[in-house]
Amino acid sequence: MRNNNLFLFLMVLISIWLTACNSDQAENTASTEESAEATVTIWHNFAGDDLRARTVRDLIDQFDEENPNISVESEAIPVDGYRQRISTVAAAQELPDVFFTYAGSFTDQFYDGGLIQPITPLMEEHSDWADSFLPTGLEAYEYGDNGDIYSAPVGMSSTSYLFYNKQLFEANGVEVPETWDQFLDVIHTFNDQDITPIAIGNQAPWVAQSTTFGAIADRVTGTEWFMKAVEQDGASFTDPVFIEALGYFKQLVDADAYQEGANSIDNTQAEQYFAQGKAAMMINGSWTVSSLAASASEDVIENIGVTVVPSIEDGEGRANTITGGPGGGFVLNSEAEGNVKEAGLELIYALSNEEAQKAIAESDSMVMYDVDIDRENVSPLYYEAFNLVRSVEFAPVYDLYLSAAAGEAINNGLQEIMLGGELETVAEKVQQAQVQSLEEE
Amino acid sequence: MQDILKAKHWIIISLLPALLLYTFIVIVPIFWSSYYGFFKWSGMNEPSFIGWANYLEVVNDPIFWRALKNNMIIVVASVFGQVPIALLLALMLRQTTLFQRFVRSAVFLPTVISTVVVGLIWGYIYNPEFGIVNALLEMIGLESWTRAWLSDPDVNMYAVSIPIIWNYIGPYLIIFIAAIQNIPTEIEDAAKMDGANGFRKLFYITLPMMWTTIKVAVVLCISGSLKAFDQVFVMTGGGPAQSTELLATYMYNNTFMTYRYGYGSAVSTMIIIVSLILILISQILMKRKEEKGMGI
Repeated sequence: MRNNNLFLFLMVLISIWLTACNSDQAENTASTEESAEATVTIWHNFAGDDLRARTVRDLIDQFDEENPNISVESEAIPVDGYRQRISTVAAAQELPDVFFTYAGSFTDQFYDGGLIQPITPLMEEHSDWADSFLPTGLEAYEYGDNGDIYSAPVGMSSTSYLFYNKQLFEANGVEVPETWDQFLDVIHTFNDQDITPIAIGNQAPWVAQSTTFGAIADRVTGTEWFMKAVEQDGASFTDPVFIEALGYFKQLVDADAYQEGANSIDNTQAEQYFAQGKAAMMINGSWTVSSLAASASEDVIENIGVTVVPSIEDGEGRANTITGGPGGGFVLNSEAEGNVKEAGLELIYALSNEEAQKAIAESDSMVMYDVDIDRENVSPLYYEAFNLVRSVEFAPVYDLYLSAAAGEAINNGLQEIMLGGELETVAEKVQQAQVQSLEEE
Repeated sequence: MQDILKAKHWIIISLLPALLLYTFIVIVPIFWSSYYGFFKWSGMNEPSFIGWANYLEVVNDPIFWRALKNNMIIVVASVFGQVPIALLLALMLRQTTLFQRFVRSAVFLPTVISTVVVGLIWGYIYNPEFGIVNALLEMIGLESWTRAWLSDPDVNMYAVSIPIIWNYIGPYLIIFIAAIQNIPTEIEDAAKMDGANGFRKLFYITLPMMWTTIKVAVVLCISGSLKAFDQVFVMTGGGPAQSTELLATYMYNNTFMTYRYGYGSAVSTMIIIVSLILILISQILMKRKEEKGMGI
């Protein structure tokens, strides 16, 4: 025990010494800052080894090299912990000068807290560029009475493609489903053949919501109803139409559409499961296109087809939509001033201008920008999905519009339905969470 | 006299850095966080004072009580899993032959592995598609027992308890071996001469001599299990549908996933209160045992 105390004491000494060293270092960098014109700190979540992450990191490095008077301090944080890291530093008032954000309620929080400033000067300076974003691309980042723009999306989130295994469909003599009834028939046929109809990895519970339920719900309730329910303006999540939407999801669960233990495998494992031909279909987002393009063999990719989620005839909503919209973009800290502000704006432009958008698009990931891609430079599956998404309309992704608490409630609620829970209870919880968060604003 | 005073000074001076550090990184934040519990705060806007509302909401939230119940499952599993298994192993592994040293290291190994890795390993072990648990059950003809261990709410709390037990047997084993080796050989010899052997020696000599150590181990075990977070967070994230929610994951999800910093602070204050109550109860229970002649 005595040794233990000594050890602790030493640890304390060492940690004090280390912190002392760190502050020394900080001072050192501060003194070199004066020689460079500006130092910009940037935080983003392009930390992985996938093509897109590498592309964005290269763009940042390139900007750093091409601008000798600006020094960029970049920090890449893994996607899973990114929201938490950013909201923690926001709470501590230590946000970096430029940081990556997601469209929707995540950015709303920064705007409401006065933590970000408009990048409208960039829009005025490069109006061609600003006009080339796809419809709704910039609107997602428009705030305030002046219609100021706060960010430019560097990606597109499109979350509900129906992927299918061409061979399995042919071998079992079924057509790709276009209506809900056909969908249920197909599920039934595959179940009879002991093939998992739909693969899903819902361990992180946003998956079912983001990829499947959003698309179903939009077909049933229509977009207008959802937007009203989000504002709690004449619509509520306890409305029969929402219960009906939950009911369609329950139909999938009851039809044994999903493999056993869907709630304890993660999305990547589900993608592998599907790629190995163990499941006939998978409803998943554009990230699946990128990850399959990076990991699966050519034969596997050629065997995968992509389409939209089947239509629901009795629903109020449009058919032929994909849930999605503008993806994340970079925002500028409201405390950035003078040189740092200038440099920050330049950096944001360098990461979202035409060249950058093309580079990101050719890393097999979707962008919200009117750009031509060379067919040779991308995977065939991506090319198919890219053309598909540009031929359909967008429907809202639930958790981008719901408050964070209501998003958690619907995520957990769908898991509950998969475990046999009551639809009304789930609807009740979503409604409660949304009302409470609106009150807190 | 002066020597003693001098020594006292030295003790105080040497303790000071640790004490200061502890005060600022543990004690002060505890009070700070219970203070934040009185605010409505998303972490990004200005906090606004709302009195006891957060604390009342915690107490009225059924998920909080489910998390507490789940935590109690972990506490019970740890106290009645880790401590007895470690004790048994310590009694069997008190010599230092090569084999025993090997077993000791093997039991200690999980403690050295990062808890995240433990969570990942057991996630694979329980995997419904290619997990070894289901594969073994199928091999011995118990297909009907196979299930999705981590997503079936009837069993998943027990399933996540096992890795936690496995993870932390090591430290208790070391503590117990040290305690056994500290029993003076004179006492053992005397017991032998009096004819105490086997179980008699165990119950009248070894265990009573180790009792204080066991008590410490139980307290460590309770407080450790109340902090349980990492393995469960990696394996299930508290899901599905919050069926494996623990106090710590509940706090984390509220604070960092739904940005309710004030509410999260209230939850953490409640965790501290619950922990103190549990430690107190365990102390009282074991003290009573001690008064009754070690209770064995």
